[in-house]
Amino acid sequence: MRVLLLVLCGAVALVPALTANNVVLSVLTFTFILGILAVSFNLIYGITGQLTLFHAAAFGVGAYATHLSMAHWSISFWLGSAFAMGCVAVVSLLLGIVCFRFRLKEFYFAVVTLAFAEMIRLVVMNWHGLTNGSLGINFNLKPSVGVPGVGALVIEGPVRWYYFSLACVVVIVLAYQLVVNSWIGNAFKAIRLNEDVAASLGLNAFRYKLLSFVLGSMGASFAGGLYSHYMGFVDPHLLDINQSLAILSMALIGGTGSVAAPVVGALVVTALPHLIDLNAEWRLLIYGLILILTILLMPQGIVGSLQRLRKHA
Amino acid sequence: MRKSLLNFLASAALSFGLASPVAAQDAIKIGQIEAQTGPSSYLGFMATQGAKLAVHQINQAGGVEVGGKKYPIDLDSPDTQGSPQQGLIQLKKMLEQDHRKYIFGPTLSNVFNGVREYARGYDGKLLMFAPATAAHPELGKPGYGFLLRPVLFDTAPEGFGTYMVEMLRSKGAKKVAILMQNDAFGRFAVDIYKDSFAKAGIEIQTHWFEASTKDYSAVLARIAAWKPDYLFPGYTDAALYDIVQQATQLGLTKFWLVRGSLGPAIRNKASIDEYIAYMPKYFEEAEKVDSKVAKFIKDYKDFFKVKDFPYELAPLLFMASYDHVFMLAEAMKRAGSINDVAAIKKELLSMTYDGLWVQKFDPVGGGIHSYEIAEMRRGGALKMTLVKPASK
Amino acid sequence: MMQLIAGQLINGIIVGSLYGIIALAVSLTSGITGVVNFALGAFMLVGAYLTWHLNETYGVAFPFAVILVMGVVALIGLVADVLLFRHTRNNLINGLIVSIGLVSVIVALVHMTWTSTPQNMQPFVTGVFTVGGVIVPKMKLLMGVVLILIVSMTYLGLTRTWMGRAAYAYAQNPEAAALMGVATGRLQVGVAAFGAALCGLAGSMYATLYSLTPDIGALYMLKGVEGALLAGIGSVIGALFGGILIGVAEGLGSVFLPLAFNDAYGLLMLVLVLLFRPAGLFGRR
Repeated sequence: MRVLLLVLCGAVALVPALTANNVVLSVLTFTFILGILAVSFNLIYGITGQLTLFHAAAFGVGAYATHLSMAHWSISFWLGSAFAMGCVAVVSLLLGIVCFRFRLKEFYFAVVTLAFAEMIRLVVMNWHGLTNGSLGINFNLKPSVGVPGVGALVIEGPVRWYYFSLACVVVIVLAYQLVVNSWIGNAFKAIRLNEDVAASLGLNAFRYKLLSFVLGSMGASFAGGLYSHYMGFVDPHLLDINQSLAILSMALIGGTGSVAAPVVGALVVTALPHLIDLNAEWRLLIYGLILILTILLMPQGIVGSLQRLRKHA
Repeated sequence: MRKSLLNFLASAALSFGLASPVAAQDAIKIGQIEAQTGPSSYLGFMATQGAKLAVHQINQAGGVEVGGKKYPIDLDSPDTQGSPQQGLIQLKKMLEQDHRKYIFGPTLSNVFNGVREYARGYDGKLLMFAPATAAHPELGKPGYGFLLRPVLFDTAPEGFGTYMVEMLRSKGAKKVAILMQNDAFGRFAVDIYKDSFAKAGIEIQTHWFEASTKDYSAVLARIAAWKPDYLFPGYTDAALYDIVQQATQLGLTKFWLVRGSLGPAIRNKASIDEYIAYMPKYFEEAEKVDSKVAKFIKDYKDFFKVKDFPYELAPLLFMASYDHVFMLAEAMKRAGSINDVAAIKKELLSMTYDGLWVQKFDPVGGGIHSYEIAEMRRGGALKMTLVKPASK
Repeated sequence: MMQLIAGQLINGIIVGSLYGIIALAVSLTSGITGVVNFALGAFMLVGAYLTWHLNETYGVAFPFAVILVMGVVALIGLVADVLLFRHTRNNLINGLIVSIGLVSVIVALVHMTWTSTPQNMQPFVTGVFTVGGVIVPKMKLLMGVVLILIVSMTYLGLTRTWMGRAAYAYAQNPEAAALMGVATGRLQVGVAAFGAALCGLAGSMYATLYSLTPDIGALYMLKGVEGALLAGIGSVIGALFGGILIGVAEGLGSVFLPLAFNDAYGLLMLVLVLLFRPAGLFGRR
């Protein structure tokens, strides 16, 4: 298993050397960025057991906040991103306090987060002075990384974006893995398994659910900043409920049991439409069927099922 | 397990390489990126149908004859699903893997915003016929030489907007209530008409709605209380059926600059007083008087094997699709090349093409084409006015 | 101004009753089968398109079309329950996700059959009532009356018939009900079918009032869920009121504030209510 993982990592790292095919690089870059989005979602849903439909809003707000702060205050991508993560942290903190304080159970939590996501989307759509409404904002700013000895390296072009997004997803996954491996992670898992029992054992469920929600939403914000800079524009569609559902399917398809598994889901969801050229309505049909069949037949997702197979093999 | 994973990776890698359709040698390669599913997919659907039919007809006649040789056209029309991300990846594949130089679409502004930066990198090696609203401000700007927008700009001198506002002014209208979708096109439309109304001395009140709205009773009641002369409603049939029905129930019976089909008017003909619609073409009538249109309808039904021709959607063909494929072919003939983008563009900008519509481009690549204005009165009496662009 | 408010109050109640029927379906099915079925919105979509199709293409009179459609959609709901939701009985989240998948499947099928071209039915009844300057379309009034009637009948059915009281008992305490001889499996399937039939009815009513596109299910589903949560799951008449409250909040909100935020008015009210009464206005915990 370890050897396989190493081979995989090697292959991924060498892709730009093996192919100059911009399409492959683009698909993988999107996979890494959306992988961050799916992994951060899974922290809240798969690990802590809370189905949140707020993630697209965190993604979109992160994108807008990153760009707007960079454009208005002439700060770097990293500062802008930090500012955006701060904004999203505050919003999700407030929302989380509201939801968890009142002990909203899973389904209610899902609907209330959805309600807030929709309201925020409407605000973004209509606050023309700030967001330019449904027209969105086009821009040409690029992130840059300070490399010791070389100076500031601007991230542009397919190869740089590939490695940059790859580095980001690896760092984020490792960071989340550290959290999940620690006592904090244990608390999250305990809450998912049985919140009441965990509470009766002395766990402050409220505090940990809140932490999970804020940490996950911040990850979505960072993904939003990356995505919008890669594409060169922001628009209110980023906050659509369909985006939240797409994130959910990425987590389900990849597997909700581990921190990194949703990246596989992100790959499938991003790459599949380009591998299979189907009639449009058939695609929607198959998407629905995949969702249904995954829950009914393969609830552990691709990675989870592979792991189970390995155990039985 | 190890084997199956490696197999999966290998086949994935291979299929990336092979995912492009096998194209004939020496073919003219064109691409089309439109949203065939998802919201606003009716726009992309018709564009795709038009292009496919045009390519089929040209290939059936042997292809495009340039410099004594006949070239078939190879068309790739993937579905963007309305996603800028999808559109970008598809465009990259078209430009880099398949070496397509002529792209039709996108019509959706958010998809255009997703691909524009990338397309600019190919300025000089690419021609893009993009109807998207967001494309309009970029026409003629540096770095956007590749961009053509085959859609008549409303308030340009030849635009129907100018004609319509003048019509409104001459009817003595003083107050117009605008009820518009809160999306890129709606915002753009209201922006450009605001000035025209101000110049014509017409007072306006603007109300925005989410595209999915069905019940307009609250906003229509407010508008009715203001007693406008005309209602300037949202631009899609999905909204218009409801707006027109509910507006007439509340006593608002005059509609101006309606887009979409005449379906909502016909459905409510007993309750409207005036219904003034901009129709690129009223196919039901055109079929009876124009043999070109009749033939097109027959060809459409034969090629797509359908019993019913989509009359309500057909007017959308005026955008980057049927006529423009023929225009591209004609431009190639005149330029004597299938690869010289600059020469082909020059020919496109200097030709007047008489297809389903009379089509041409202004000096920066904005579309100018013929159109019809429909005026329906209570009871269904219909007057159509055809407006043709001034010939060069 | 008073006319505007009165008009929107009435319209809000009527439009809200449509939300309320869906809210009732949500409340019943989730209270008894344990799953919130997002596909109820898709059932409404199918009901709407079938009603239009029967009426326009086959000339079936509206009242007969409604009854036929309710039957067909009930069958669809039954099949969906037996095939899919039976396996997610006690996992609310899994059931939710399966229902989302089912929505995609149904919408794709509707898309394939009828395309995304907007369709419009001739209203069953045309014309308006004008009372003191307030205008109410006759069809809307008829719909409001029919829906309130159906909800009342449902309430009576649940409290006066054996089957209904069995359902109530089951919702309170599943094990006890099973011990008392209530055929719980059959009950769940029956409720699923009934909930679907209600949505079919909602679809028929919708079709005679508004235009049809394949995406209408999602909007009403959300409003139905809002109404059900507002009332509190388990309350039948409450669900109707929940829907009506959402409708009125939207209508009155749009009088004083921009229509652009229409959907937010109901959402805001829901969130406020949930904060102070997490069990809903009429719910019991």
